[in-house]
Amino acid sequence: MHNIGVLTIYLGLAISIYSFIAFIVGVIKQDQKWVNSGKNGVLTLFLLTSLTIVLLLYVLATSQFQFKYVSMYTSSDLPIVYKLSALWAGNAGSLLLWTFLLTMYTTMVAFSNKMKGNPMVPYISTIMLGNAIFFYFILATTTRPFELNDFIPSEGNGLNPMLQDPGMIIHPITLYLGYVGLAVPFAFAIAALILKNVDSFWIRMTRRWTLLAWLFLTLGNLLGGYWAYLELGWGGYWAWDPVENASFMPWLTVTAFLHSVMIQERKGMLKVWNLSLIILSYALTLFGTFLVRSGVLTSVHAFGDTNLGTYFLIFMGIAVIFAMYVMMSRYHLLKKDSDHFESFFSKESSFLINNLILVCAAFAVFWGTIFPLISEAVRGTKVTVGVPFFNTVMSPILLSLLFILAICPLIAWQKSTIKNLQKNFLIPALLTIIVAILLFIMGIRTIYPIIGFTLVAFMLFTHISEIFRGVKARSSVTLENYPIALIRLISKNRRRYGGYTVHFGIALIAIGIIGSQNFSVESMKTVAIGEKINIADFEITYENLAQKSEGLNDIIFAELKVQKNGKHVGYIQPEKIFYSNWQQPSTEVGMISSWQEDLYIVISAWERDLRATFVVRVNPLVKWIWTGGVVVVIGTLFAIWGGRQNQVIPRYRGTVRKVT
Amino acid sequence: MKKNKKMLIGCSIIFVATIVLLIGATTKASGSELTLQEIIQEPHKFQGRFIMTQGDLIEKSIQWDADLIQLSFKIEDEFGNVLTVVHQGVKPDNFSEDVIVIVEGFIHDDGIFTAEKVQTKCPSKYEGEEYDPELHEKEIE
Repeated sequence: MHNIGVLTIYLGLAISIYSFIAFIVGVIKQDQKWVNSGKNGVLTLFLLTSLTIVLLLYVLATSQFQFKYVSMYTSSDLPIVYKLSALWAGNAGSLLLWTFLLTMYTTMVAFSNKMKGNPMVPYISTIMLGNAIFFYFILATTTRPFELNDFIPSEGNGLNPMLQDPGMIIHPITLYLGYVGLAVPFAFAIAALILKNVDSFWIRMTRRWTLLAWLFLTLGNLLGGYWAYLELGWGGYWAWDPVENASFMPWLTVTAFLHSVMIQERKGMLKVWNLSLIILSYALTLFGTFLVRSGVLTSVHAFGDTNLGTYFLIFMGIAVIFAMYVMMSRYHLLKKDSDHFESFFSKESSFLINNLILVCAAFAVFWGTIFPLISEAVRGTKVTVGVPFFNTVMSPILLSLLFILAICPLIAWQKSTIKNLQKNFLIPALLTIIVAILLFIMGIRTIYPIIGFTLVAFMLFTHISEIFRGVKARSSVTLENYPIALIRLISKNRRRYGGYTVHFGIALIAIGIIGSQNFSVESMKTVAIGEKINIADFEITYENLAQKSEGLNDIIFAELKVQKNGKHVGYIQPEKIFYSNWQQPSTEVGMISSWQEDLYIVISAWERDLRATFVVRVNPLVKWIWTGGVVVVIGTLFAIWGGRQNQVIPRYRGTVRKVT
Repeated sequence: MKKNKKMLIGCSIIFVATIVLLIGATTKASGSELTLQEIIQEPHKFQGRFIMTQGDLIEKSIQWDADLIQLSFKIEDEFGNVLTVVHQGVKPDNFSEDVIVIVEGFIHDDGIFTAEKVQTKCPSKYEGEEYDPELHEKEIE
């Protein structure tokens, strides 16, 4: 088993190098035979990587502790699903997963029907294989998945209890799917440039790839937050930890990219900008991996110190320099072919502003994340900026983003006149003012939440009024009644209305974030049985402390009766779980969640006389964040799948070559 | 061309505003990340400054006062520097021998560190221990 595993990896390295060379030879000689050989190499590589991953999953599932990876991250009593998900618990396995996804995507592109006969294929494949070589190199030299133990332990270390959570099963893989997915538009962009194609073909072709990658990044971030919220027991969902930032930065730049490509598609503008954005996003995925795996920053995550991070940094350097070189050498072509802005007050310019704000946001996060490194280089001490920094900087940036989000749908392409602006804005603006007044009457006096909630309301109103105008216009032409007109309008314009749905989702998330960041309260108290804790409108009675067993795990739990404004709302059972082979217990948060707020209770310690210490938090509106996430997913899927728009294959008008 | 210029000005304003915001926030909200060595050797130098540091937990030193909700413990580095930490709050998960603890807070005259935040370093790197039923009993009691 060990020999086969190791062999597949060396073979993978060899094949990826071979195919890489075959494509290049094929392109230079303009010989289809070589290119086809390269394509076969790609397919073989994918099958081989699948085999490797199946092998690793097999040894994980059957607890073959002679393998270091298996004994490090699993134990024989672990439920099978966590044995398997230990595939991405450590460096070696997660990089193998990355390689697998990468070769899968490469195969999908190389053998894509839509790309049949397209001269870009060999170039795209070569670029993606360049990535595959890098990953195989690491798997073969640094983090070897099939490394053996010196002597075979009778039992493995087990998976850290914190990782034994459904979050572990999906959160990492969604992030990897997002990260790897960005390699596709990046490869398309560079391939187009090499071939001197400066039109929007690559953008149209990769629209759904990019959207899917964005969706996975979004999901990865949200699920990470959800998991942290439920599992870690500190009451928050986001801590501006370097690792979180590492996945947030590409999310911001890809969000910008998704918007600015629309301008290029429609207007042929911003070509250099779009290329820069995709290069940047792709580089940020590598940079994020560097941060996580190198241990240069102090983070609660971190995979331990290996020289893996350095490899990622070097690879990122090579990729960026290569991409920049190609772009600069085609700069005159890109410039010649670009259009200019026709009006200051147009959709184009509002998109550009949204882009700038998003990129500024990414830069701010970047700055805060790497500031310890900069300051160490300049002054000799690592200076950390911390959560207050991010909150101070990101609040105004994200609020201005909400503002742009609110006015964007109401501004027409090319040029908006004052008159139609007035017409479009009047009702939403009036409604928004009413909301602001209501907020004030409800007793909110602090500035940020008022601005925040008002902007969210404004954004919702402008979107609704935009949709309403669309429905009205359609209905006046087709004579359909409003509901039917609405359904047809939406299903005929999946991109646009999918996008608006995503905006709705973002609005809900924003409501949740503003609410929970500004109005949460916390109390820590040690109480004896029968005593009460009062917090916000809640009265919590500590009724009992007991113990139960679930399999090999022992669970200590407290029973708390919860009353809100004197009315009984239910019981909460916060737990501490002692996992079989783990000395320290893990927190299991007890929670009653409603649209209004989460009552969030952690049992933190107990004494011999059964007094127990609880951390109680009331986090308003958190549920809106997760709901908004679901809406974002629905909106994105709606924009990706089905509909005639998505079936159109963009016409290739670029350079023609003999080999495809 | 004039329109492009207008755009350029608009963009520059956003860009400059971000930079100003960044600089302002950086100088206001900074703390220093120090090694235990640096803190122990010159505690006076860092007084009044927000510090982040990390070290291995010495399990025996953990003291927990349930009524005050106060946690105190010691962390050490590989050179034998030991720092006493006091935290008004509860034990984080995974708080056991040799776990790397990240603390953020202030150092005082007497060499005691008051932590506003105590975190243990995340899962991925940890190694488990053998199952020991007695240990469970002990913890549960």
